[in-house]
Amino acid sequence: MEESKQQPEQQTRQLRGLYSKVKISVRTLNIIIVVLVALLIGCMAFGISKGGFRVSFDTQGGTPVEMQSGIMYGEKMEPPEIPTREGFEFDGWYSDPEGTMVFDTESDPVTESITLYAKWKEK
Amino acid sequence: MAENKLKAKEQAFKELSSKDKTKKITDLLLNNAMYIIIVLAVIYISIKVPAFLKLPSIVNVISLTAAKLPIALGIGGCIVLTGTDISAGRVVGLTACISASLLTTTFKVFPDMASAPPIIVVLLVILVAGGLVGLVNGFSVAKFKLHPFIVTLSTQLIVYGIILMYLMKGTNNGQTLSGLTDGYRNLITGTLFSIPTATGNVAVPKYVLYSIILVILMWVIWNKTTFGKNMFAVGSNEEAANVSGVNVSRTIIMVFVLAGMMYALTGFLDGARIASANANTGLNYECDAIAACVIGGVSFVGGIGRISGIVVGVLLLQIIFTGLNFLAVDANMLYIIKGLIILIACAIDMRKYLVKK
Repeated sequence: MEESKQQPEQQTRQLRGLYSKVKISVRTLNIIIVVLVALLIGCMAFGISKGGFRVSFDTQGGTPVEMQSGIMYGEKMEPPEIPTREGFEFDGWYSDPEGTMVFDTESDPVTESITLYAKWKEK
Repeated sequence: MAENKLKAKEQAFKELSSKDKTKKITDLLLNNAMYIIIVLAVIYISIKVPAFLKLPSIVNVISLTAAKLPIALGIGGCIVLTGTDISAGRVVGLTACISASLLTTTFKVFPDMASAPPIIVVLLVILVAGGLVGLVNGFSVAKFKLHPFIVTLSTQLIVYGIILMYLMKGTNNGQTLSGLTDGYRNLITGTLFSIPTATGNVAVPKYVLYSIILVILMWVIWNKTTFGKNMFAVGSNEEAANVSGVNVSRTIIMVFVLAGMMYALTGFLDGARIASANANTGLNYECDAIAACVIGGVSFVGGIGRISGIVVGVLLLQIIFTGLNFLAVDANMLYIIKGLIILIACAIDMRKYLVKK
């Protein structure tokens, strides 16, 4: 007890926080930071070079439609082919499976990777 | 004056030996590595995609920053106490679901209800819900001396279970809640003011104002109240704070309750902002908030942090992710980038601490 009371302020400061048990030299930490920064820049560069959003199509029982990729921010997608399904009539692409939010493939710009769902009307 | 100061600094720098000079430059570069990367990224993005610096995009960044600020302000307090809170995102989800289930026109969760309750009642309900989760977190941390990671991990799971069960209530059957009332949507996403541009008006939503009010409120709480001072005292040295008469347990509990309420407000804003709520609302929000706090200089050492830092942190993170989205970077890659940013921010934070020691 006596000893801990006599500890200078600096030493008690070391005992707190999530870093209290850290045993690493500043030099090593510098290297770690530089490596991590390089890794981060690498990831960003890779992400940018492979950039492009994907639009996939869920036809919900109809004939499959090929997905599109490499669409840049704000661009419009190529008009997808219209799927067919026996006994049903195609009723447009929607951004939710329930078919409440319509997505106009000709005029709506793509701002993220999305999946579009087909809606069907009974003939 | 400023020029004189700069000159004096320059003079002092020139007088240093070459070894000290390199040390000083390394310090400067490494301690600000995060900011340097972000500035470089912004320059690169704005050259590649000029629309990034146009008004609509700037307003978009500011709105998204405003939407994510309250949760970061809440988590900031927990980090000042050398803890953290990973239940935050799920609390946002729970309160968004409660708001969306009550302030709606379809009443799928409560089929017997005929009209939506007043907005103020719902606001109080979600504040109580968020505060309760915070109370459980705070009580377990303060009284059982459990690490906040473990406590909030368990409350995260519990809250997720509650969300899923809540969404199964009534005739909803786990589906997304939507069809919100106009009153609720207008209150949050209505136009605060609009800026005319050549291509049409750019509207600034009302929730930007609410976020600014919350920032001011939190600044006052952190800097001008006894509670705020106690929080920093407990964060920097719990035992010293105890000896000098601070009620440590009460302070810890209050920090977590306040944080819980901030998450609740985030959920309230998010429900109307996204116009729907489901079990995935709020997922991983805490990661963004923790990253923003650490970038903004809220240290895991404890007892260090400023509200202005948190605001800058959230803004910087939002700028970089909006920018990467403009370059159409894959969402999967964004997770890796986010993780690396948190690691780097922590390493820099640790470095500052070690150099000081």
